[in-house]
Amino acid sequence: MEHKILLVDDDRDLLEMLCSIFQRAGYTDLVTASSGQEALQAWREQQPALIVLDVMMPGMDGFEVLREIRRTSRVPVLMLTARGEVEDRIEGLEIGADDYLPKPFLPKELLLRVGAILHRTYPEPHRTVELAASTVDLEKAEVWKDGERTPLTAKELQLFQKLYENAGRIVTTGILCETICGEFWQGYESTLSTHIRHLREKIEANPSKPVSLVTAKGLGYRLNLRGAKS
Amino acid sequence: MNPVQRFFRRYIFSTIGILALFFVVNIALVLSVMIAGYMSGTDNGLSVRSVSSHVTEQGGVWTADDTALALLREHDAWAMLLDESGTVVWEQGLPEELPRSYTSAEVASFSRWYLQDYPVKVWSREDSALMVVGFEAGTLVKYYFSMETPSLMMFLMGGIAVFVFNLLLMIFLMLRNTRQVEKAMSPILRGIQDLSRGNYQPLDEGGELAEINAGLNRAGDYLMQKDNTRAEWIRGVSHDIRTPLSMVLGYASELEDDAALPPEARQQAGMIRRQGERLRSLVEDLNLTTKLEYALQPIRRESVDLVEIGRQAVSEVLNSGLPEQYELEFSEEHPGSTARMQGDAALLRRMLDNLIRNCMVHNPRGCHISVTVGAEAGRCTCTVEDDGVGMDAARLDALNREADVASTQGGEHGLGLKLVRQIVRAHGGTVQFWQAVPHGLEVFVFFSENSNVKHA
Repeated sequence: MEHKILLVDDDRDLLEMLCSIFQRAGYTDLVTASSGQEALQAWREQQPALIVLDVMMPGMDGFEVLREIRRTSRVPVLMLTARGEVEDRIEGLEIGADDYLPKPFLPKELLLRVGAILHRTYPEPHRTVELAASTVDLEKAEVWKDGERTPLTAKELQLFQKLYENAGRIVTTGILCETICGEFWQGYESTLSTHIRHLREKIEANPSKPVSLVTAKGLGYRLNLRGAKS
Repeated sequence: MNPVQRFFRRYIFSTIGILALFFVVNIALVLSVMIAGYMSGTDNGLSVRSVSSHVTEQGGVWTADDTALALLREHDAWAMLLDESGTVVWEQGLPEELPRSYTSAEVASFSRWYLQDYPVKVWSREDSALMVVGFEAGTLVKYYFSMETPSLMMFLMGGIAVFVFNLLLMIFLMLRNTRQVEKAMSPILRGIQDLSRGNYQPLDEGGELAEINAGLNRAGDYLMQKDNTRAEWIRGVSHDIRTPLSMVLGYASELEDDAALPPEARQQAGMIRRQGERLRSLVEDLNLTTKLEYALQPIRRESVDLVEIGRQAVSEVLNSGLPEQYELEFSEEHPGSTARMQGDAALLRRMLDNLIRNCMVHNPRGCHISVTVGAEAGRCTCTVEDDGVGMDAARLDALNREADVASTQGGEHGLGLKLVRQIVRAHGGTVQFWQAVPHGLEVFVFFSENSNVKHA
């Protein structure tokens, strides 16, 4: 992957492990820094696409580094912290962090979050999603199935994007309703079912036996990408 | 009214009662002293009138019968009878030095005062004669009192006014005193109450009770410092463990996914990763339980839907990869309806997550776990039930009696359940543990829909 990622942590062993995780996941352009000052210098010189920033560092801490960066740049930043306090999380997000991951974390969690931020921040010019029976073009909001093109409505696209961001994971009815109806989503469950039915008609080979957009009984829905284990 | 105010109100009433009792007892004492004084007198039996009635005239000669003489002897008294002209017409034991004839002025004088130091009593008979009975000097005190009516009334009214004024002044001073004591004591008593609740606010170290306030402040500081030290220590440990644990989890995951390694090595790496995750969950539980216990975790109260929280908690467990020996199912008690309550969504999710993971920890060979959420009769309920090995009656009983939850022996129903109980309590709810039918454990949690969020 061509995205340059700046990894910042004062613990060199952890930094080494982060490098190993990202390299194994296919990120080859990595820059590391082990202090706040070094991080700022690397950010100015290397212009990374994303920064993974540790909060607690001697001298200049992660919050200060982020404040300095946010004065001139919107580069996505994922904060890593050894403190699980809610207040820290809120402070980080208030300053302008894009996400926040408390230590200890699983490599999968880190990679998923980094992937999601990169997807959001740097959408691919022709982003297409391969499903079992169809291909969805997110930019053009259309579905190709059996050589036929079907457009997606705005709500269907919102819904599909939310499911795609969490591909392979169950997304609850409440979160999906909130995505299409906003904060006050109560009572919109039947509206959601209608949108899901329409979406299935567009993306599934057999909408009554869905394989890509499956129901998690009582919970919500899950989007399975082509080739992924269901 | 708080207990401190109640105490002082009761104190005032009891003081007024004591005052009333004081007056009643004093009046009784004065009366009894007067009665005792009166009873101790020797004069009580001698009446001039009765002596007089036993002295009669027969043919110009005055004679007294034996009764009169006996009466006079008994009281060690003498007697004389004066006719209209003031001349003694009959006498009995009359001292020699006394005259035998008196002018009107002398009669007027001794009838009020003394006859040459002899205290006397007089009786005016119907036949215009005057009976005089005298006693030994110094045996009887005579006091003449005369006053004009307006002055007497003035004195009486003044006396009553002084009494009432004194009474009111006494009550006022007593109330003022009580108020001052209450003012000085209230902060101290409140401080002690706060101390017992664990949220001590230092008292002002001024005034008469400064020393007590300072002592209480020291005790408060000591307790808070002890609590903070413990909380800080746990937070410190959990903080220090996070980075090394990240590395354990990171490398174990990498090794587990490394296709170049032999399957056995990958399995072992998987075991390290799973144990690392357990350790992570333990550290998080320990941190959260400490924060709830010492009220360090603010409860973010908002209107939440317990059904959606249930969905999110179950989905999270499924999304993080449910081992194949487990089945996890979610259902709504009343499909389509919401279960709204005031609460902290993150904490409630954590509670359900802990209950689900508790089922998994205690049934390593697998089980079916069902989570049911709903609202009925003004309360939100959730049930987490498994069909695993369950628990014996004694342990269930201990759990329901809120004992034993702190036990972390062998990881058995320890910290995870303690945390569940703390979160439930923080939301004003109740948790119950039952034996599932035919086997397994059923945990039932209910919250009143309007339950107030409290500190754990």
